[in-house]
Amino acid sequence: MWKYEKKLEYPININNKDLKMAKALLAQYGGPDSELAASLRYLNQRYTMPDEKGYALLTDIGTEEMAHWEMIATMVKQLMKGATIEELKNNGLEGNYTQHDGAVFPTDANGVPFKTTYIETTGDYRADLESDMAAEQRARATYEHLINLTNDPDVIAPLSFLRQREVVHYNRFKELRDYYLNTYEKNS
Amino acid sequence: MNYMNYPNKFNYQANILPSSQGNNIYSPYEGFIRGNMFQSLYKPYKQIGPYRIEAMNEQAEMLTNIDALCFALIDLNLYLDVFPNDKNAVDMFNQYRVQKNELQKQYENKYGPLVLTSDAINTYPWAWDNKPWPWEN
Repeated sequence: MWKYEKKLEYPININNKDLKMAKALLAQYGGPDSELAASLRYLNQRYTMPDEKGYALLTDIGTEEMAHWEMIATMVKQLMKGATIEELKNNGLEGNYTQHDGAVFPTDANGVPFKTTYIETTGDYRADLESDMAAEQRARATYEHLINLTNDPDVIAPLSFLRQREVVHYNRFKELRDYYLNTYEKNS
Repeated sequence: MNYMNYPNKFNYQANILPSSQGNNIYSPYEGFIRGNMFQSLYKPYKQIGPYRIEAMNEQAEMLTNIDALCFALIDLNLYLDVFPNDKNAVDMFNQYRVQKNELQKQYENKYGPLVLTSDAINTYPWAWDNKPWPWEN
């Protein structure tokens, strides 16, 4: 089960409205390499890890990704605060407004809704962990693209934090993958 | 702002850690603002950051200290999942856990519960609904 902590993993206080940035950030809310996809992927893959190291690591990283998903929603919400319909229309958010009004909905930056295929579970620990390593690299690259799209330090600071978490997660998955190959596939 | 002093040296057990890792770990606050406790893994994009966290009031400052300790626990937790025999890391985790619990208790008594199991939930009327909620600014 899970318990909620009534705080963000990293503080977010965005003072300036930026609707184009809000739309771009949806990539990490409901896109293929989003925090939502990462969380569900790891929490879903953990059941077929070979032993408790994998159970623990995928549970804990999957849980942290949920906190990141909350950070992305917070950023989108704060970037859109006080937007008029005219401003939404001028920044490509009229489709989002039509279907969701001011709600944050899991689509990618182009409005494509979240798909369960992003969860990518094969039941093969090597395939899953190597896919997780690649997913962390894709998310890192996405954060770099997002950082390139803004000059606002209120936005860049949490994006830099999230980007570095991808680097750390990549390394932990790699260490686990290497440990498993060494433990279970020595003679193959 | 007065952030607590934490030890920032970390001696790994040579037989446990892959040799590619360094042997230094940041203090909770320095790790927190980088998104990473392990110095050898810190690779900032375009040399951006780290950004200091500007707390606007005493409550936010206290929460930042809790955030930093929570972050140290999160990052050490992931490391320990893969390297559970690293005694120094286990000790460090527990040292920060005690500090975090103590500070969180002080914060919750002053500003209300962060978790439903907090003793600070024992108020009337029910305090869990109270602002601020994390996504508000």
